[in-house]
Amino acid sequence: MRRSTRLIVATLLLASAGCSLQPFKTEPEPAAKSSAPPPAGSGPVIAEPPSVAEPGTAEPVIEVPPPAPLPRERPKVPPAKLSPASQALVTQAQSQRKKGDLPGATVALERALRIEPNNPLLWIEMGRLRMDQKNYAQAEAMGRKALSMAVGDSRTQSQAWVLIADSLKARGKNPQAQDALSKAKELSAN
Amino acid sequence: MARKLSKRSRTKIQRGVAIIALLALLAAIVVVAILDRRVTQQFEGRRWTLPARVYAQPLELYVGQSLSSARFAQELARLGYIATMPVDRPGTFRRKGDSVEVYVREFRFSDEKQEAQRLSIRFDGAAIASLADANGTDVPVFRLDPLLIGSIFPIHGEDRIVVAPDQVPDLLPEALKAVEDRKFDTHHGVNPLAILRAAFVNVRAGQVEQGGSTLTQQLVKSYFLDSRRTLRRKAEEAVMAFILESRFEKADIMNAYINEIYLGQDGRRAVHGFGLASQFYFGKPLSELNLQEVALMVAIVRGPSYYDPRRHPERALERRNLVLKVLAEQEVVKPEDAESAAKTPLGITDNAGRTANYFPAFLDLVRRQLREDYQEQDLTEAGLTVFSTLDPLLQEKAEIALSDELERQDKSGRKAAKGLEGSLVVTTPQTGEVVAVVGGRRASFDGFNRALDMQRPIGSLAKPLVYLAALQSGRYTPASTILDEPIELKLENGDLWKPGNYDKKIHGAVTLVRALTQSYNLATVNLGMDVGLGPVTKTYVQLGLDEAPPKYPSILLGTAQLNPVQVAQVYNTLANGGFRSPLRAVRAVVDEAGKPLKAPELEVTEAAPAHAVYTLDRMLIEVFERGTARQGKRALPPGLVVAGKTGTSNDYRDSWFAGFSGGHLIVVWMGHDDNTPTGLTGTTGALQAWTRLMASISTNSFEPLMPEDVDDRWINYYSGLETSPYCPGAVSLPFAIGQGLEPSPSCPPGTTQEEAALMLLVNPDGSPEDTTVPAREIAEPEPSAVP
Repeated sequence: MRRSTRLIVATLLLASAGCSLQPFKTEPEPAAKSSAPPPAGSGPVIAEPPSVAEPGTAEPVIEVPPPAPLPRERPKVPPAKLSPASQALVTQAQSQRKKGDLPGATVALERALRIEPNNPLLWIEMGRLRMDQKNYAQAEAMGRKALSMAVGDSRTQSQAWVLIADSLKARGKNPQAQDALSKAKELSAN
Repeated sequence: MARKLSKRSRTKIQRGVAIIALLALLAAIVVVAILDRRVTQQFEGRRWTLPARVYAQPLELYVGQSLSSARFAQELARLGYIATMPVDRPGTFRRKGDSVEVYVREFRFSDEKQEAQRLSIRFDGAAIASLADANGTDVPVFRLDPLLIGSIFPIHGEDRIVVAPDQVPDLLPEALKAVEDRKFDTHHGVNPLAILRAAFVNVRAGQVEQGGSTLTQQLVKSYFLDSRRTLRRKAEEAVMAFILESRFEKADIMNAYINEIYLGQDGRRAVHGFGLASQFYFGKPLSELNLQEVALMVAIVRGPSYYDPRRHPERALERRNLVLKVLAEQEVVKPEDAESAAKTPLGITDNAGRTANYFPAFLDLVRRQLREDYQEQDLTEAGLTVFSTLDPLLQEKAEIALSDELERQDKSGRKAAKGLEGSLVVTTPQTGEVVAVVGGRRASFDGFNRALDMQRPIGSLAKPLVYLAALQSGRYTPASTILDEPIELKLENGDLWKPGNYDKKIHGAVTLVRALTQSYNLATVNLGMDVGLGPVTKTYVQLGLDEAPPKYPSILLGTAQLNPVQVAQVYNTLANGGFRSPLRAVRAVVDEAGKPLKAPELEVTEAAPAHAVYTLDRMLIEVFERGTARQGKRALPPGLVVAGKTGTSNDYRDSWFAGFSGGHLIVVWMGHDDNTPTGLTGTTGALQAWTRLMASISTNSFEPLMPEDVDDRWINYYSGLETSPYCPGAVSLPFAIGQGLEPSPSCPPGTTQEEAALMLLVNPDGSPEDTTVPAREIAEPEPSAVP
């Protein structure tokens, strides 16, 4: 009796795992991931109806692992914002860049980064500064660093891709720059 | 006989004397001319060899910064700010409950000069609530003047901070004249009367109580001559003093004196000039010294060793009060001021016999990084200013954490753990800055720097690199099972290598996550040999080392020898989501005029795929949840998520721990300098110091964003089979989206809390019910882990 119940549950789960929209955690809480049962809602949501129903994948199959599901949509994260302190430093850095005072802008942006190292907007600003310094490889790297911190934040991701596109273009990598730019456009449309 | 000398011979003698006198005069003229040339040239183009001055990172003030008013007051005191009322001059502050008013000093940063100004700061418990200037205008962000942490002085050890006349309190030259050279304003370099008087006093007292030298002579002696006390040198000194006086203004000579004179010894570093001496004795700029402090400095001039206020406080106090008395007698100060000043204690910073805030191991790293771009001579002579990454508060806590743990080991009663040495490195992973370095248990001792100069096998700290290579290969997930079974490998030299596990057991088929968190040797060797030594050793370079270790199988268990800074470089990349940032100890360098020069830049390079590093990091969090660092978790603030790995080398010779929170990476090494066994594992040794430090600093949880191409799944820790979060042994780990996972037959995904409850009762840990091969004892003790 119990076993069959479990079988059904498992079946349902496998089916839903294939195509359901699972809750996305912006902040993983690995501390809670010990053997202690997590709070309700953090586990797989079985009751949730498959939102991207695809014929075939809903068929219960136990022995065979489910086929790769469609890439899921990550829940949207509000666009990154700067704290007042970082904002003041970014404004300062931008005016220093305009005046050609790149060492000064470096100091201001690094100060902001120490205050908010996880803010992708600051890494994009740093990348813009590297563009001014003609350090295009680092400009791209800063863009990629920003991307890694902007999961789910399409507006910021788009800005990061624009930076990456610019850095590629500056090195004459036009096809890749075009790809990056279309990614930026796609994201900004979202 | 002489009377019988003939007139002729007398004339002869007279002529001879005249010739000799003429020759002597000529020689004297030549000597004077030579000396004149030397004095004038050297003194005119007066450039003291100016060691590069190194500053710590400044404390940033902004709304929301986690800082209490009490800690802020401590930081101000560390910078030599005086709590006083009213707050009317730079270097003073006043704390009243949760508000602080501070008159910040002028300071030239690498990007701009910040004028001296008043700030009002309000605190809200543990954070800054508001920050405003003297007009009440909100200030978004503000840097305090940073702490001077040292200089890069040449081998002969002469160190100084040169001060301009406007940085010298008016009292100092007046006091120097009153005590050392009352006729300074009128004499021509030498004061014959003073010499006679001094000789008389000295004879009467039977010891040297008064020097007859003028300030000018003292300057000449220190600046141009060596310290031998010969008659010839005395004469030279007098002539040169005369030349100096006839060629230069009194004010110039006084300023040179203030910057030149020797005022104390700090190990092999000679403290010259009142600018540095003020920092050395009082921890604040010369311009901020009060009457009794100036008096003490003037007292020290006469005998920096004899009147050393740290070694001979009574002598120093007595002489200081004598100086105060003289100042009152000479009407330099009011008698009542002198009297009240004489009642004050010496007021020097503690740290017996050395500069407060002296961090030799960190300075050593700064010097080595600067040597990449600068000649030694530029650093020791050109007057550069170096802005470093050191966080003084964190450094202090790091020193305490390590020495406390080493002392605890001393008292543990285990002979092998007595007298251990240690080293510790702290970085901020996102920016790759080194914020603290401890080179040994006596942190302020400028000796063997273990953070840089020691190479030790890293033991199990090497394992994450093996697992990273496995995850990067695409053939493994955290749920993959590998065999923890005995393995025999033929080495290059033909020897047979038979590694064993620390617990002397074999565990059969184990998951990747379990093998890593429990630090199983056999599983790791099997995994590494399957992934290949090439890909494994390549990860060392990927993560930031200059060269890969040799492709020996024993590398899998950590025979690669690294120093703590190198380990920090490797783990920094893991803490930084796979982005490699060359570790920096220097932020900026400026020349004497304030012009920015070359300095290492903030760099990030995507070194390893984000999903692989993210997955590895999540497994390293499990090291604290259920692995070898589980007991360390208890010492940490509740809810703080950290990740890390223990390391123990062969025969317990080295105890390592490397781990990180969201804001800080800490690497700890403990061991004996003579490489004898310590009896400690990474858990019982280094981890203890690591948690002490991590628990004592303000930091945040390690919560990296999940890359888009992975997703969390629940698996059984032992079997790797997919399970429900409520099931025993369930652990949530990231997998590639769409990754096929076998469901657990006994507690499959979807098992409800109620259904799982019974299983949890029977087997709360969820241990090997699903494991195919049970763990078993090995009869024979295994040979040591590493050949």
